[in-house]
Amino acid sequence: MRAPDRLRGMRVVAAPDAIDRATWVGEDVTVLRFAPDDAFGHGARGVEIDDEHAIVEAEVGFVGTWLAPAEIERHAEWQLPTERPAFAQGSIAGVPSKVWLPDDGEALLITAAAYAEEMAGRLRASR
Amino acid sequence: MTDAKPQIVVDERPIVFDPGDSVAVAVLRAGEVPGRGGTLCLTGDCGNCLAVVDGVAYVRTCQIEARPGLTVQRHPADGNPPLPGMADRGRLSPRDAVAVPVERREAEIVVIGAGTEGQRAATEAEAAGRHVLVLDAAHGEEVVALYPGPTVIARTPAGMLHVEAGEIVVATGAAEIQPVCPGNDLTGLLTMQAAVRLHATGVSMGRAVAVGMVPDGVPCEPVAGILVRFEGDAAGRVRAVVTADPVSGEETSTPCETVILGLGRAPRDLLARMAGPTVPVTSVGAAAEDHPLPPPPVDPAVVICRCMGVTVGDLEDAWSKGFTELELLKRSTLAGIGTCQGGACLPHVRSWIAARTGEVPAPFTARPASRQVTLAEAGADTFVDAFRRTPLHDEHLTLGARMDRFGSWWRPWNYGDTPAEYRAVREGVSLGDVSTLGKLVVSGPDVVEALERIYPCHVADIKPGRSRYALLLNERGHVMDDGMILRESASRFVLSFTSGGAANAEMWVRDWVDTWGLRVHVLDRTMSLAAINVTGPLAVELLRRAGLADPPRYLGHVHADVAGVPCHVMRLSFTGEAAFELHHPIDRSVELWRALLALGADFGIRPHGLQALFALRLEKGHVIIGMDTELDTTPRRLGMDWAVRMDKPAFIGRAALERTARLDDHHRLVGLTMPGEAPVEGSPIWSGGEIVGNVTGSWASPVLGHTVMLGWLRRTPFPERVEIDGREAIVGSTPFYDPEGQRARA
Repeated sequence: MRAPDRLRGMRVVAAPDAIDRATWVGEDVTVLRFAPDDAFGHGARGVEIDDEHAIVEAEVGFVGTWLAPAEIERHAEWQLPTERPAFAQGSIAGVPSKVWLPDDGEALLITAAAYAEEMAGRLRASR
Repeated sequence: MTDAKPQIVVDERPIVFDPGDSVAVAVLRAGEVPGRGGTLCLTGDCGNCLAVVDGVAYVRTCQIEARPGLTVQRHPADGNPPLPGMADRGRLSPRDAVAVPVERREAEIVVIGAGTEGQRAATEAEAAGRHVLVLDAAHGEEVVALYPGPTVIARTPAGMLHVEAGEIVVATGAAEIQPVCPGNDLTGLLTMQAAVRLHATGVSMGRAVAVGMVPDGVPCEPVAGILVRFEGDAAGRVRAVVTADPVSGEETSTPCETVILGLGRAPRDLLARMAGPTVPVTSVGAAAEDHPLPPPPVDPAVVICRCMGVTVGDLEDAWSKGFTELELLKRSTLAGIGTCQGGACLPHVRSWIAARTGEVPAPFTARPASRQVTLAEAGADTFVDAFRRTPLHDEHLTLGARMDRFGSWWRPWNYGDTPAEYRAVREGVSLGDVSTLGKLVVSGPDVVEALERIYPCHVADIKPGRSRYALLLNERGHVMDDGMILRESASRFVLSFTSGGAANAEMWVRDWVDTWGLRVHVLDRTMSLAAINVTGPLAVELLRRAGLADPPRYLGHVHADVAGVPCHVMRLSFTGEAAFELHHPIDRSVELWRALLALGADFGIRPHGLQALFALRLEKGHVIIGMDTELDTTPRRLGMDWAVRMDKPAFIGRAALERTARLDDHHRLVGLTMPGEAPVEGSPIWSGGEIVGNVTGSWASPVLGHTVMLGWLRRTPFPERVEIDGREAIVGSTPFYDPEGQRARA
């Protein structure tokens, strides 16, 4: 398994409709909606948002690895979404995870950097 | 000629044994009984030969091979063996801790039981090209648990064996039915298999009679009729068996010294019943057969479950109260939950229920473990949760840290020299990795209102740039967690929590904000920000070297660059010395850590692990939630009423505190001091010959010259002097070190 890469971007917690209308600064920004009021703009360098109380922070706390969806699903006790694109969250190999499934191809397995070694070890051990 | 036979020691007396003897057989060969009486099966199915073997209680002596020097202490006839250490007033030693190694294996099929059926199943699977692993207690691989996965857990002479299995075949055969009638607690009662085994070893059984089926090859006199009772002598030894004619009911008493009982069999299916619906288990042979149940027991006085001392009358009493179902009956009477896990009583209980309902209930669920396991065996490398690493994990390893698991994180316990780490904090400057602390950002127009309701302290009067220590209480007024409230602006705060309590605290805050419908945003930054604690008398000087010209004063916080890394610098103190937490992005953590170590090299800077930190905080009397507290700990019990402002109109837990403040409270966390070495944490606290509490933290303080402790007293009036570890300790107040707090504020 390839070593996971640190995911850099902007994290925003704000009113859901404000996030809907937010403008993300950067190229090739992928917005992952962790919750209605919580979004991570992967690749974003900034964000413009219409919520004076929004929490906007540079985010470096996640790592990600591109893997075949079937490889990820082998370690899940739940089914990945079949539609594309899709974003899912749950336990993969017993580690809290998020999965970004773009239009086609490999999926991005995301976990907190603090779990990176644990995740890699579990995936290696089960190969 | 000298008797060269090897010996074991039973109740401090030597007993010789023959090669191949089990401990139980060796004891029987000496003319004694291995357990507390009752029918012996010698197959590990019952709990009638349990004893303390080499310090481990509840060991089936029929399953342990005798070896020279092995020590056996028989359980008390009318109770359980004492807990370890309680016999000598709670003296426990870290040396008592034992690490049990774990071997991990994989197999397509695990066959449990190497008897005829097990061997047949293994042979068939191997012929089909499957990878098979056969485990059998007789070969030293005793399966004690099955878990989803499926995972098979076995105990071996080398430690524990964890097998990831594709499928599991249970071929454990059948156990023999034990008698449930008056006198079934006498000694001299044997199942057929026990009689065969004992005869094969050459152990004399005296005049033996057989009730029911008769074992092949064992000299004995068959006795006709239905078993009614056993009669014994004053020493508890069987002297006669009474049977009844099935037609006339006429009773016959047959004198004897041993009764061999062929009462039928029951499937030895404990492991199969443990598996549950998600584990692919197939039972074969006698373990899968539907054996006839024994007749229902009728005498209310007779014991049906010897492990738990449950009588037939106890079943009747529970039944009359509405517990008319097997699982309920088990829970209400405790029949079947003892060391044999229903191996002896379950057929009788099922039969007893069937006689009342006309239907035979399915056996009750079994749960791990099927056999007694020690805490060390149960805990052997069985971490299922994922443990997190801070960005400084590899730095700690490079510095020689011994890492351990705390609060779902890997953390440095020490760097090989705890006294030096301690001195660095007290006399110079030291770094601690506190990245694991919970860190929550809350923001919104209603944030002050929300925090005033959540916390028992005042929040509105905290000025931007200042912070306040706070307890987190639940609705019952019990302490859930603690941490800091740091105000950044009118509508934005940072909240910190303990490492172990952070996840729960985050949910707590979110749930209440949602419940109240308040406009507050919540972002958990625990795993996005690292934190380094710079602490010691030279901490300020080190930070100045790192470019922080004006460090915040006590309980202040600022955003500033430290060694070129953007940090949220918080001044507080858990160590009792000046301390600054530097919260920063995790991708800059190694850079900051190395820079600080380099800048402080001539100060003798060194990092400190948790072992030193726990000692430092203990000298200050600082409580660690979860270590020093219990589930029902209130601020009053901690002596921390000062952290609660009852003049606030409302906060979570206020109503409970108001009510309980009027009640007597017999619990108090206190400071304790004593000369000499520190007793083990957890040690009982004695007063007047009784245990009145326990130690939660202990440390032989170099700076104070005596041992300091925190501990619970649970009996009033609270004594002023107590006994711990066989020595006198004085109950006193905290902090022990720098009670005025001048060093933290310096």
